[in-house]
Amino acid sequence: MEVRFTLNGREVSCSLVGSELLLDVLRGPLGHRGTKEGCGKGECGACTVQVDGHPFNACLLPAAEVEGRAVTTIEGLAPAPGELSPEQQAFVEAGGIQCGFCTPGMIMASKALLDADPDPADADIRHALVGNLCRCTGYAQIIESVRRAAALRGEGS
Amino acid sequence: MHPLPYHRPTSLEAALELKASLPGARFIAGGTDVMVRLKGGAPRPSALISLRGIAELTRSEVAQSARLGAAASVADLLAIDALREGWPVLADAMNQMASPQIRSSATLGGNLCNAAPCADSAPALLVHGARVVLRGPQGERVLALEEFFAEPGVTRMGADELLMSIDVDPPEPGLQTTFLKKKRVAMDIAIASVAAGLVMNDGICTHVRFAAGSVAPVPMRLPATEAALCGHPPTDARIAEARRIAEEEVSPITDIRGGADYRRRIIGVYVERATRALAARFEGSE
Amino acid sequence: MTYMGTSPTRPDAAAKATGRAEYISDAVRPGMLHGAIRFSEHAHARILRIDTSKAERIPGVRAVITAENTPEVRLGFLRDNLALKKGKVRQFRDEIAAVAAIDPDIAAEAAAAIEVEYEPLPAVFDPIEALAEGAPLVHDVDPRGRPVTSNLMPVHFRHFSGDVEKARAASAYVAEGEWSTPLIQQTCMGTAGCIAEFDPQMNLTVWAKTQIPFLAQRDFNGALAQMGLRNKNARVIVPALGGGFGTGLDTHCYEYISILLAWKTGKPVKVQYNRDQEFAYLSPRQSATVRMAQGCDRDGRLTFRHVHVVQDNGAYGSWGATYPSVMLLPATSLYRVPNIYFDCELVYTNNTYAQAMRGYGNPELTFALESNLDQLAEEAGIDAAQLRLINCNEPNEVTPMGLKVATCGLRECLEQTAERLDWDNKRGAPDGTARGVGMASLIHVGGSGRIYRSDASGVILRFDDWGNLYLSSGGVEMGQGLHSSLQIVAADAIGVAPDRVFINQTDTSTCPWDVGTHASRGAFTACNALLMGATKLRDKVFRAAVELYPQLVEEALRKQRKRDPDAPAPSFDWRSRIDADAFDLREGQVFLSNTDDPVLRVDLGKLIRAAHFRDGGGQMFTVEAFYDPPSELPDWEQGQGNMSACYTFGTQGVEVEVDTDTGDVRILKMAAVLDVGKVINPQILRGQTIGALAQGVGYALYEEVKTERGRILNPNFTDYKIPTAVEMDFPIELEFVETDEPTGPYGAKGIGEPGLVPTAPAIANAIADAVGVRIHDLPITPEKLLAALRAKNEEAT
Repeated sequence: MEVRFTLNGREVSCSLVGSELLLDVLRGPLGHRGTKEGCGKGECGACTVQVDGHPFNACLLPAAEVEGRAVTTIEGLAPAPGELSPEQQAFVEAGGIQCGFCTPGMIMASKALLDADPDPADADIRHALVGNLCRCTGYAQIIESVRRAAALRGEGS
Repeated sequence: MHPLPYHRPTSLEAALELKASLPGARFIAGGTDVMVRLKGGAPRPSALISLRGIAELTRSEVAQSARLGAAASVADLLAIDALREGWPVLADAMNQMASPQIRSSATLGGNLCNAAPCADSAPALLVHGARVVLRGPQGERVLALEEFFAEPGVTRMGADELLMSIDVDPPEPGLQTTFLKKKRVAMDIAIASVAAGLVMNDGICTHVRFAAGSVAPVPMRLPATEAALCGHPPTDARIAEARRIAEEEVSPITDIRGGADYRRRIIGVYVERATRALAARFEGSE
Repeated sequence: MTYMGTSPTRPDAAAKATGRAEYISDAVRPGMLHGAIRFSEHAHARILRIDTSKAERIPGVRAVITAENTPEVRLGFLRDNLALKKGKVRQFRDEIAAVAAIDPDIAAEAAAAIEVEYEPLPAVFDPIEALAEGAPLVHDVDPRGRPVTSNLMPVHFRHFSGDVEKARAASAYVAEGEWSTPLIQQTCMGTAGCIAEFDPQMNLTVWAKTQIPFLAQRDFNGALAQMGLRNKNARVIVPALGGGFGTGLDTHCYEYISILLAWKTGKPVKVQYNRDQEFAYLSPRQSATVRMAQGCDRDGRLTFRHVHVVQDNGAYGSWGATYPSVMLLPATSLYRVPNIYFDCELVYTNNTYAQAMRGYGNPELTFALESNLDQLAEEAGIDAAQLRLINCNEPNEVTPMGLKVATCGLRECLEQTAERLDWDNKRGAPDGTARGVGMASLIHVGGSGRIYRSDASGVILRFDDWGNLYLSSGGVEMGQGLHSSLQIVAADAIGVAPDRVFINQTDTSTCPWDVGTHASRGAFTACNALLMGATKLRDKVFRAAVELYPQLVEEALRKQRKRDPDAPAPSFDWRSRIDADAFDLREGQVFLSNTDDPVLRVDLGKLIRAAHFRDGGGQMFTVEAFYDPPSELPDWEQGQGNMSACYTFGTQGVEVEVDTDTGDVRILKMAAVLDVGKVINPQILRGQTIGALAQGVGYALYEEVKTERGRILNPNFTDYKIPTAVEMDFPIELEFVETDEPTGPYGAKGIGEPGLVPTAPAIANAIADAVGVRIHDLPITPEKLLAALRAKNEEAT
């Protein structure tokens, strides 16, 4: 079985035995290890990717389900070498990163939120990140990072 | 986890045929429960048959009444304005399901077919008297949701059937609803939950619905609790009585998430809180 | 100082934000195999037979090992643990066998296919029962084979000062009680793992998720010796760490197993735990029961403190068994107490063995101490904040343990916390609501903690030809921001821009020795070493400048005259003999400190190249420095010794609202005031403090590894709950008191752990203030609180 989809704007294909999960396909044959496995059970959000703009736990999503769809991972955000996307820039500037293991998923979940709601209230940000666990930061600077990302995206548009 | 054979039919007929031709195969929709259980070492089916590519199952029609595709994702359902406006308690319950990531994958049908006592959508759907539409080789049949759950993890759906849609009638005129969920942290399985619906006329409760989750082998209506209030004004004494009855009507167990007594207690508190909150919404209008 | 107190972008941020940081789970070696471990299915059992034949026959399996076909590798500071168990298992997570295979799924399948026959033995799970006569013995013999008669561990931490009994009798008020804290998991977001690889000469490299690369090297070299590999070396490389929190403080059986598998197969072998395995098979924070009594006189002056601790160590000795070394700090030295009794019993049981976690015994002890202090305040009719102020530690005091406290901002921490909580109006207010406020304080090591004969950190500094600074430290960046602190202090101390400071990957083959990143010591010791090295490096630069500066200025002037023939000549005679101490270095430019003429500024890279390529023998700019703090290794049996160069103090205050129908506790506000000595990077300090505080909130309210007869029941995030962003939805007022600690690098103290130490007692005290009910065992779940509220109401009626 072969699955074809768009990964960060490029057509890719990968052969599957069957129910391989998107996370394992990304990290394995496709070599995209920026997406992390924190729990493998959809509880921690470290593996968050966007599929057609929506946030998904790649650890639970069979790769066969993304046939023909557009998958965005953390590797697909930076607009050019040496540059960062507004979300990445915001996390770097506002101190939303400590050990960094939750960061790719946290940034992808934040981006999915901001794509749907460019100016979320604090409570909306917290609600949107409820599936992304962080053990280092206590979330304060993560929430501020998302607010900053909203502002940077606003400036950019 | 070694991968399993994975089929992704695009029509209902193909899905049913695959199921018939593959002994030991299992349907999978959002996969948020199936995959977790397989990773946890649950018995492996011979194959997985995905329902996500079948348009008939992912389509929903929402107007005066609602027909919700069993394989529609919770996120897709939450995006339907008419559903949020017409059946806010269902939207509220779905919005409290896990996380945005899980809601992108998880389906309403999956939430029900797991037949978990804690299924967040079930109490809200029970309050609205939802029905499930099943399809098998013999054709379609319709079951009240109350009849659908048999025991924890088991539904009354045949092995060769699949869940097509969840049908919900228009809400009773004037119906006010609410959903209360007890959890340990914001992202959690319900330790106890109550969905409630109330219509009041001239200070009297004329239509009362309570349904509870995580406090019995399956999500359940609370008919005795409803009867204690229906036809009466929601006085302190009546509410106290309803609360007492609710605590008796449920049959929770003790597990690592919470004790039986505690769950019973929470159900009582939530029945009281829901009643007071809903009754208050009628105060201005009468 | 230009960069101290500012927040330049941390050096690892962009790599982490783009998914390019490489954690152990991302690391791959050519030809790498995957290891899987077969764990015990009994808490205590004799191993009768292990049949590996089915596993060996599975295609893709390259090796199956047990204690029978591998050399014995002993580990743990008590040498009471074996990498692969022999004879019997003593806990559910005991390693019986392991497999190396070409992919993780095959390895897991093969590990499951190993057949083990057991004879179950009577087991003991409660430390008190384990101490009773006739209790099953977890270890029948000690590591030397001598018979053992008790489950009491051979470790002793005590302190007795003054006359506690006499003081108790003379006290006007006494309060006492018992408190307990649960087993909890560190839950690093990046799970544990390692890769072991032998080169053709049989030297070993281990990529390890460790906080102690050099002690791990020592341990792994010990294993090589036990394996008969004499005169071979283990090199330890530390990848990006997905959190540490104490998990990396010891070496682990899985690391030795991957070494054995690599040795057996001749291939690199990776063992990577997933989340469920991390929960079930990694050592959590130890549970403890603390009996505590304190008394005071009529004026509220503390008269005595009596502390007895029982800790359930689990089956093997690791650093969890040394928590009392840190418990001694608050027990003897938080607030002024003249008469102190501290004793503890560490008990082997058939539960999972415990290890280090942030705070290391301090949160356990402080929960009891600060809860008990509120009871004493109530007993004495003295306001709880006032009682703490009356007994507040002050600068320049020596505590009963012999801690030499130089700087101490505790009084300001207490006062600020009270003010930010509106304490005077809110404490004890009978306002008809179930709201309340509470506070608790902390003392912790702020200048490293000497628990080993060396408490040192080395640093190697090297300028390349372009004026870039390469810094090698043995400290481990695990997210806490050590590398940012190093960058900031290097920039100010040496005189280069922070983004010209490159920090080399932690690797025992290139980095100087460091005892490990624990005890809030990383920045304190490494930056102190760095300051020593900075002086040497600058001196080296300036000595070169004495010779080379005139010619470099001459060149610069020649170029300037070419561009602008009318440029004025410098007012200073650069050709004259200039002493080394006349130079300065800032932002990568060497200049004379008594003139700001731009033409007299020389690019550092140019100077270095000139020195490097000088005729008749060039030079390099590399220095090393080694800092061992001015502290003492305490006498643990006496509980005496100044274990740290300085001490961190702080207070946290909480306002809560209790839902008396459901037992839910809502935190309305927190204030955290911490004496940090000096702020290095405010953003990172804030992240560390709030992050620790969130761990304290989880510890207080819901975190608990639940076990049943030694088996862990909730090895997943579905049922082990840590705070989400929603739980942390309350205002946190942070304040840092700067006491400018003389031993600290630029005055800074260690702050890695303190943030979670007083959180739980502050919350417990606030709950007691809100509803008059005190919970003595963490976590304070709604269920427990509701039961206590109902019991109280029944009592009242």
